[in-house]
Amino acid sequence: MSLFLIAALPFLGAVFPALLIRAGRNAAASAAGFTTLLAFVGLMLHIPAVFRGDTVQASIDWLPALGLNANFFLDGLGFLFAAMILGIGLLIILYARFYLSREDPMGQFFCYLLLFQGAMVGIVLSDNILLLLVFWELTSLSSFLLIGYWKHLPEGRQGARMALAVTGSGGLAMIAGMLMLGHIVGSYDLSVILQNKDAIQASPLYLPALILILLGCFTKSAQFPFHFWLPHAMAAPTPVSAYLHSATMVKAGLFLMARLWPVLAGTPEWFYIVATTGLVTMLVGAMIALFKDDLKALLAFSTVSHLGLITMLLGFGTKIAAVVAVFHIINHATFKAALFMTAGIVDHEAGTRDIKRLGGLRHLMPVTFAIGTVAALSMAGIPPLNGFLSKEMMLEEAAHTTWYGSALLVPVLVTVAALFSAAYSFRFIAHVFLGPKRDDYPGHPHDPNTGMWIGPAFLVTLVVLIGLASAKIAGPLVATAAGAVIGGGELPYYSLKLWHGLTPALYMSIVAVIGGVVFLALHAQLTRIWTALPRPEAKQIFEALVRALTRTARVVTDGLHNGALTRYAAIMVTFTVIIGYAAYRGGTLGAATREMQTAGLLPVVGWFALVVSTLFIVAKHRNRLVALVLIGVVGLVVSMAFNYLSAPDLALTQISVEVVTIILMLLALNFMPKETPVETPLPTRLRDGAISVVAGLGAGGLIYALMMRDFAFPTISDYHLANSYKGGGGTNVVNVILVDFRGYDTFGEIIVLGIAAMVIFALTEAVLNSRVRAYLLNRKPDLPQAGDAHPLMMVVATRVMMPLALMVAAYIFFRGHNLPGGGFIAGLIAAIAIIMQYMASGFGWATERQRYPYHAIIGSGVLIAAATGMGAWFNGMPFLTSAFGYIHWEPLEEFEWATAALFDLGVFLAVVGAVLLALESLSRFAWQPGISSEHAMDINPARDEAAKTGTEG
Amino acid sequence: MIQADLTVILPEIVLALYAMAALLGAVYTGKDRLAGPLVWSTAALLAVLAFWIGSSPAGTQTAFGGMFIDDGFSRFAKVALLLGAAAVLLIGQEYMARRGMLRFEYPILVALSAVGMMMMVSAGDLMALYMGLELQSLALYVVAAMRRDSVKSTEAGLKYFVLGALSSGLLLYGASLVYGFAGTTKFAGIIQVAEQGHMSIGMLFGLVFMISGLAFKVSAVPFHMWTPDVYEGSPTPVTAFFATAPKVAAMGLFARVLHDAFGGAIADWQQVIVVLSVLSMFLGAIAAIGQRDIKRLMAFSSIAHMGYAMIGLAAGTEAGISAMLVYLAIYVTMNIGTFSFILMLEKDGKPVTDILALNQFAAREPGKALAVLVLMFSLAGVPPMLGFFAKLGVWKAGVDAGLMGLVIASAVASVIGAFYYLRIVFYMYFGTGEGDVEAKGSPVLAVALMASAAMMLVGVVYQFGIDGAAAAAAATLVN
Repeated sequence: MSLFLIAALPFLGAVFPALLIRAGRNAAASAAGFTTLLAFVGLMLHIPAVFRGDTVQASIDWLPALGLNANFFLDGLGFLFAAMILGIGLLIILYARFYLSREDPMGQFFCYLLLFQGAMVGIVLSDNILLLLVFWELTSLSSFLLIGYWKHLPEGRQGARMALAVTGSGGLAMIAGMLMLGHIVGSYDLSVILQNKDAIQASPLYLPALILILLGCFTKSAQFPFHFWLPHAMAAPTPVSAYLHSATMVKAGLFLMARLWPVLAGTPEWFYIVATTGLVTMLVGAMIALFKDDLKALLAFSTVSHLGLITMLLGFGTKIAAVVAVFHIINHATFKAALFMTAGIVDHEAGTRDIKRLGGLRHLMPVTFAIGTVAALSMAGIPPLNGFLSKEMMLEEAAHTTWYGSALLVPVLVTVAALFSAAYSFRFIAHVFLGPKRDDYPGHPHDPNTGMWIGPAFLVTLVVLIGLASAKIAGPLVATAAGAVIGGGELPYYSLKLWHGLTPALYMSIVAVIGGVVFLALHAQLTRIWTALPRPEAKQIFEALVRALTRTARVVTDGLHNGALTRYAAIMVTFTVIIGYAAYRGGTLGAATREMQTAGLLPVVGWFALVVSTLFIVAKHRNRLVALVLIGVVGLVVSMAFNYLSAPDLALTQISVEVVTIILMLLALNFMPKETPVETPLPTRLRDGAISVVAGLGAGGLIYALMMRDFAFPTISDYHLANSYKGGGGTNVVNVILVDFRGYDTFGEIIVLGIAAMVIFALTEAVLNSRVRAYLLNRKPDLPQAGDAHPLMMVVATRVMMPLALMVAAYIFFRGHNLPGGGFIAGLIAAIAIIMQYMASGFGWATERQRYPYHAIIGSGVLIAAATGMGAWFNGMPFLTSAFGYIHWEPLEEFEWATAALFDLGVFLAVVGAVLLALESLSRFAWQPGISSEHAMDINPARDEAAKTGTEG
Repeated sequence: MIQADLTVILPEIVLALYAMAALLGAVYTGKDRLAGPLVWSTAALLAVLAFWIGSSPAGTQTAFGGMFIDDGFSRFAKVALLLGAAAVLLIGQEYMARRGMLRFEYPILVALSAVGMMMMVSAGDLMALYMGLELQSLALYVVAAMRRDSVKSTEAGLKYFVLGALSSGLLLYGASLVYGFAGTTKFAGIIQVAEQGHMSIGMLFGLVFMISGLAFKVSAVPFHMWTPDVYEGSPTPVTAFFATAPKVAAMGLFARVLHDAFGGAIADWQQVIVVLSVLSMFLGAIAAIGQRDIKRLMAFSSIAHMGYAMIGLAAGTEAGISAMLVYLAIYVTMNIGTFSFILMLEKDGKPVTDILALNQFAAREPGKALAVLVLMFSLAGVPPMLGFFAKLGVWKAGVDAGLMGLVIASAVASVIGAFYYLRIVFYMYFGTGEGDVEAKGSPVLAVALMASAAMMLVGVVYQFGIDGAAAAAAATLVN
């Protein structure tokens, strides 16, 4: 049967129990059993090839781009595990059919069980480590479902969660290790990886890859210090414990260590990590097991201990130890699965798993007693059972292993562990089955029906048979599997027999067994000492870890995300400064190519004013009015700087924009309190100050460094300077750029400007028609209003200045093409002239005299600009191509006339309209009953006496 | 000439015209009464455009003198983001309508931001980049603050806007430095300068500031601060939108800039991306642990996922970009499913976002719980769900590019991250206490949830051809 089919059968079969459960529990169980049997038979068909030493292969490309191929192969090791998984699976299905009660949803159970089985078979047959990973995590997932199967038990939930957290995390860590392994070899196929021992062990990535892979193995196989999840997973139904936690899932870690043994083992790192972990696990597990009163907990810790034993053997890194490990895997699977099922029977029939409430069952449950006793004796290592054989060989290996120069350490610790192991095995027999019959069992203990005990009975038969005739029964299997583990080459000499002579191992064994009996006798006293000893409870440590992690997470999160915008900005700026510094350190800075200019008095004064006013803004920013005034100073200095640096055009633009924006903000001040409240404590402000100083200095330094060097290319200015007159007919390059080179942009910009003004208008309308209006009407300003809103002097001055300003605007407009000026600036100046009237004489007065709606002005500006642009079409030129010529018009002198000027007119109108519309809209917010007056001036000597006396009074 | 240019950007033009026409039409007719039909028509149009772009012939075309590039890479990203946006519109429609939040501007803003995103992934010039970015961002700022009567929503919108403006400033500053030193705004010109070994310190600074600005858009740590607040404060459908299409667009733009403009100077930006990636993965994983609000949790989840996707970017190879694209496509699919589920959750008609309310959810809704289980495992990257293949892809690209430390760090982060996804599953299946949340809502939600979960499983066997498409797309970008 194809390996694909063997791996796929359990998955396909998983559907049937879930569907067939309506047809009855027997149908569901038979469907599950039949599928498993089919896969098992399929596997057995490969026996001849495998035992010949051949590797059966099947491959198909899946995601070749990722190196992930659905490759399967079957060798001795894979065969051993697959046979164990499917064989024991079959027995478990049989057992579970009778174990589960009528209320348990059996269809679901068998569905999960088969999913799990499929995942396990997948692991042991995978020829691709990425594929193996997929199956690996799938076992975590399905075991999560199986362990959590008994939803009504809170321990089941806890157990499921912890098992998933530990094994799932380990698996994720392993992914990284596998990726490294694949990277070293250049292939993710196991058959290739196994040929590259030298490349892997020589690679600098060997150690990280090893650690990550072992993390996955250790968590899965419940090795110290990850052993704690296994006992807590015991809340699952017994068939699950028997299957997952004795025979299969926990062996997955061992399987992987064995699978990669040829390439990873043999280094000191491997020895110290793997063997030490195994040794500690073996000892700790055995010690804890002796003091557990829950039957399944005892078995769980004993499993931990035995897994440690096998890990240690693999860790020794010698071929003979690997053979022993394989042999013990077989033996442990047989006796431990039988013991779990026995424990399940006891629980099922006697109604409790608590050893303290049991005892004397041998009379009531003779069959169970027989099965349990044989299995437990094998676990204790009593001849002639199979447990004795492999333990003997293990002790033999341990006896001559030196650990960090110490020849005694390993043998002594192993003997102690074996002693405890014998003690808890004896306890299993003595405290459950022996002793006087009791009359307070929660249930009515009796032997179960055949379906339940036939499985364990079969396994116990194997225990005895392997013990008596190991070379015949287990020999070929051990040889084939061990051959696969050590990766070809000669198998070392070993012999599977009961009597090896008077070896050190025999003495150690005798000590262990006698010690075990003594410990059992002293169990009550030892328990008192044990409970008195302080010992860390792994579950609590795990939970404390989780709690600590959660708490740390909260602290980190709340610290970073406290909702304050300032903190967010501070973090962003700080990080940018840091990577900016990194860029500075990383890049090469050529020598300065420009001379430092000498600073005259004027620039220094300007610079000083700039710095001082900036500092004052920071210091005084809470007072909004003062801050605005200071911002005005900054803008003024900047525009003066433009002027000083021979950019009068920019200076004009800057100062006009400056004035308009400051006026806008002054308007907004009307609606705000005079000062902003202090919201941050002093240290925060100092911190923010420090950050901004560093960022500011960094930006300044960057600009300084850049200005001291020439650009890589000639700047674009040269092109414009060269072509401004030739192509655009103007010598004011800025203006030519605006109306000609980049006329399209300007056209778009005036449209946007117009839209922006309209939006402000529309928003004002919307707001003033809402509830906000009442608030605006009734608000009390922070400061008392000035007595005379429209002072005489100001009104008179603005009247005089209005025509002057408009004249200047016209002048600026016309000279724009060749000298500093242009439509944009002219528009701003004209707007300022009109705003002055609003300010001096009042809104009502000015509106009355405003004949053209601003919307129309904006619109006409855009239309004029568009029409100018389209004019070019009539000359067969693209949109907005400008033309210029010279006009002689008596009595004026000849002057140049460019179509761009018409376009500029559009700009002028749009700017005037937009600025005024925006300001007019905003000022409507400030309107309150009583502030408007019919008069342009509050005090007018031309008016009647009453007004004069009224204001004086 | 102009006609050829317009043909290249025809999909963008169609969408932009549609948005404007819809806006005008709705204002003068039914306003919010038209919102429902508009959502459906916008989603349909987005899907049609996705199909159109997806089925257009292979090959690279440029428009407007190289400012706009239509190549395999941009087409892949466009299809992903258009489908994501369409799906998000559909799953949110009923939720918003029932709570009176469905305004007609919503689908139009989504369409406009989609235009911006399409521009972003097609940008071949610093100007086009900025234009697309701002078009997208401006629409997003408004959408984030759409629930004007909610303080949280407006605050979120304001924060997003202020920080977004700061990051835009950084980006612009960087772009102007790059322009100053490269002498051109075209990516094709910049890469020539960068490749000739002229990566002067000025350009380096420009690059660094541009990366800062772009990192904000993909919400990479430490430019992620807005994400949890905006995710929590916005209406859930908007959050779903934030978590999907814009992420694709921003990562696409990121890749576009780094490879098209600075492809010759990988060593100069690799370290920065690695740092951003590691910080994002860890912060995303750690900070999510303490969250009880599932929307905030998804915010941190998206931060972490962007960190993983950035591994592909950091690799600086074709395989890396391909893996990143696959990652994004899978990420969007997972998020649509997850948000469909979040949109369903309610109690007495009010939306619920507390994960403790999910206790014992599996007992009440086994089918939906199973779908969420699949999605959560997929988000955590647990095999064999599709999310695992996404992670595997970027990890493999990272390992092959020699970024071993990054991949190990990422594996560690994914272990931490798995914790909080599994916690949701744990509450659903084994939670104690009274969870009383119901999963209601329109059939669209259930379909989206189930379809997305099914894809996580089916994708294991057949990845809908996205890996091939992504590889082809990456080949056009990296050269």
